[in-house]
Amino acid sequence: MPTLGDYLLVSGLLFSLGLAGVLLRRNLLIIFMSLELMLNAANLSLVAFARHGVTAFGLPDYNGQVLVFFIITVAAAEVAVGLAIIVALYRLRQSTHVEDLNRMKF
Amino acid sequence: MNPLYLEVSVVVLGIILLMAEAFSGPGAKRGLAYAGILGLLAILGATFFADPAAMNVTAAYAKFYSADPLAIFLKQFALVTTVIVLVMALEYAPTVEANLPSERRGAGLGEFYTLPVLACAGLMWMASAVDFVMIFVSLELVTITFYILVSYLRRNENSLEAGTKYLVLGALSTGFLVYGITWIYGVTGQFNLAAIAAALPALDQATAPALLFGFGLVLIALGFKIAAAPFQFWVPDVYQGAPTPVTAFLSVASKAAGFIVLLRVLQAFLVVPALQEKILPLLAVITGATMIFGNLAAIPQSNLKRLLAYSSIGHAGYLLLGLVSIGAPFAGTAVVFYLAAYLLMTLLAFLVMTIVAQATGGDDIANFNGLNQRAPHLAFALMLAMLSLAGLPLTAGFLGKLFIFECAIEQQHWGLVILGVITVAAGFYYYLKVIRAMYWQQPAAPDAPEIGVSGLAKLTIALLCALIIWIGVYPAPLLSLLP
Repeated sequence: MPTLGDYLLVSGLLFSLGLAGVLLRRNLLIIFMSLELMLNAANLSLVAFARHGVTAFGLPDYNGQVLVFFIITVAAAEVAVGLAIIVALYRLRQSTHVEDLNRMKF
Repeated sequence: MNPLYLEVSVVVLGIILLMAEAFSGPGAKRGLAYAGILGLLAILGATFFADPAAMNVTAAYAKFYSADPLAIFLKQFALVTTVIVLVMALEYAPTVEANLPSERRGAGLGEFYTLPVLACAGLMWMASAVDFVMIFVSLELVTITFYILVSYLRRNENSLEAGTKYLVLGALSTGFLVYGITWIYGVTGQFNLAAIAAALPALDQATAPALLFGFGLVLIALGFKIAAAPFQFWVPDVYQGAPTPVTAFLSVASKAAGFIVLLRVLQAFLVVPALQEKILPLLAVITGATMIFGNLAAIPQSNLKRLLAYSSIGHAGYLLLGLVSIGAPFAGTAVVFYLAAYLLMTLLAFLVMTIVAQATGGDDIANFNGLNQRAPHLAFALMLAMLSLAGLPLTAGFLGKLFIFECAIEQQHWGLVILGVITVAAGFYYYLKVIRAMYWQQPAAPDAPEIGVSGLAKLTIALLCALIIWIGVYPAPLLSLLP
């Protein structure tokens, strides 16, 4: 039976993987995927905390699980808008690489 | 009246406008903006009758929705900003039309007038949010609307580039925010800020690192939203690339809402002296870095939009100075006063810039050369906005800075005050650069026609100018209004 610590470790790994992807990868689609990974890391640890934080009635604390649903919904909206922006950018520039986003400079 | 109805009416107004948009002809799009302005003004009037006592305090929503005077003030703030942004959007319509790939003239303009209304609803919810779930959802409502608005000009590479940068960094800060909330929830078992504040003193020391980790992540995410150093690097590019009315909206409303959320989160966490010792010095460092970076990086700028972006970072620094001095009894009012003054002068600057940039074809400072000869009234309004942003006495901006510095001195943050005074002096240099271009430089084309201004824009500019001077000379009425 995995403990709370195991879940938090996995979620921490997911979060770091996502962050590393955002910072190191150069393709916008991969960056966007990594961002979603970070949100899912938060989801995993929320569910784990909710399952282990038992309330007075002996039930899991459902507040945490409710936030998970909100996060999933918001992430879906973000992907819908985000992919549309990336598609528009690709049509204009024929590229989804971060290096090509350099029109405005200091 | 129950304050809950305010946001609901704004959302209903937005939906009605969207539906009307589907059935309106190409010439009728301006009507949508006028309807939006009228509707928002009516709701603004209704806010003065909003009575928190009408809320059912035992109902479930009372746990995440608060209608204290601060929240009501911020709602009015968001409504006023949105109205002025819509006035700006009307002026900006030709640029939007030119940059949208569409066969019919005016297609896509309707959404440009409607989306700010929906963002306004999100801002008003943010003003009332006292629960992390509510903070998260309303913040995302605002942010996702802004992703669309920033990248609205689909034929314009700058706008799309700005939108992409805002998307990636905004989503990154969302990731930090939810992960931080998760850890705070894991330690305290609560989402409600008041419940967290109540649970904090009883926690055992072993959980302190986890709590600080969560709080740090939330602080980073909010730092992104209010553009505090070192999380300010997205600001110049996004502000420069976004359509001008959206830039104004971002720099005023989005920043103010971020500050209110930060204020509420800080209030919850500062109840524990042990946390206070760790958080306040960290905040002081962020404040100093923000003031220095914003004001020094603005000096070499040649694009007015980019200059205002850096100056908005600087202003975030002064607002943070108010938050650091939160111990002073007057600090809360000082921050809110500064926000009100900041609204007036920033929106005035952006409104004049929208009009002039349409006429001269660009928003570099060089485009403003000799504006005094072409449009003396616009030049005077922009001069007033710049002087107020710089903090010249007898303008609203001066009193805002004065009140903040007073609170900081009371709390004995001497280093930060000295830093603040130095950066204000640096600010005079780059704001005066704009005034010099308008009054002492020759225009590129000496016989250029006079710049036409619509009646609505004229009225707004005159009102904003009058308010800046009135508040600067006689601030008592506004101070008595503030929470």
